[in-house]
Amino acid sequence: MSNHTTLGKDEKAAPERVQQRAVTTPLVDVYEDKEGLLLIADLPGVTKDGVRIELEKGQLTIDARRADPPAGTLVASEYRAVDYHRVFSVPRDIDPAKIDASLTAGVLRLRLPKSDAAKPRRIEVRAG
Amino acid sequence: MFTRLSDVDRTFSLMDELRRRMDRGWDREEAYAPRALSQPTWPLVNLFDTGAELVLTADVPGLAEKDIKITLDGETLTLAGERQIAALEGATCHRQERAGVKFSRSFSLPVKADAERATAEVKDGVLRLTLPKAPEARPRQIAVRTS
Repeated sequence: MSNHTTLGKDEKAAPERVQQRAVTTPLVDVYEDKEGLLLIADLPGVTKDGVRIELEKGQLTIDARRADPPAGTLVASEYRAVDYHRVFSVPRDIDPAKIDASLTAGVLRLRLPKSDAAKPRRIEVRAG
Repeated sequence: MFTRLSDVDRTFSLMDELRRRMDRGWDREEAYAPRALSQPTWPLVNLFDTGAELVLTADVPGLAEKDIKITLDGETLTLAGERQIAALEGATCHRQERAGVKFSRSFSLPVKADAERATAEVKDGVLRLTLPKAPEARPRQIAVRTS
């Protein structure tokens, strides 16, 4: 245990980012109401800085990186330190400026409000 | 000659297939029993040994410290609790993959742990339980005397 070698690569020196960790799809719930969509994803082990959400060409991409496991020898293992990746197609009526994401206790809540034009509205009838 | 043999083969393979399908039919009741009622393996854990202590990590997204009951009885560690997922009121559900679960998992620790000094915290949806090893289970260095 005394001769510890770090096998990590210098990130700046590497021209290409090599995928070293396994990637998995996180479990999600998707709800829709009048205001928009709500996406809830389980991302255990991910901090606020480790998650990246992008919306481009109608595709919503969630990338999240787990924090490193604790030091020590792995005695029993049921899961690995994986990264999360999932892509969704979102409807065009989502207002990209109003997307709001919060991460609490490893659960990501992503609110995708509909643009005002897409919201259902009731038309009042005037008496003429 | 070859054609005939393959005909026989085909007949037998059809019979095998028939038997397999029938077996599946009998087992149907068991095979299609709702799984939600049985206990799924949740949460998944990893166990690390740092020398002086054992560190158990478990993925428990959405749970807080108070939702998990941890008991240590000798070398048997038990994690129990419930994760509730409430469906959103007044909204259409397009996809539901996250499930609520009532769990109780027991583990036999490889060495005896000191329950008095054990600490547990939940951070970013991961439970981290630190169990210092009992003094007799800790690694010790043996000095070699020169005679």
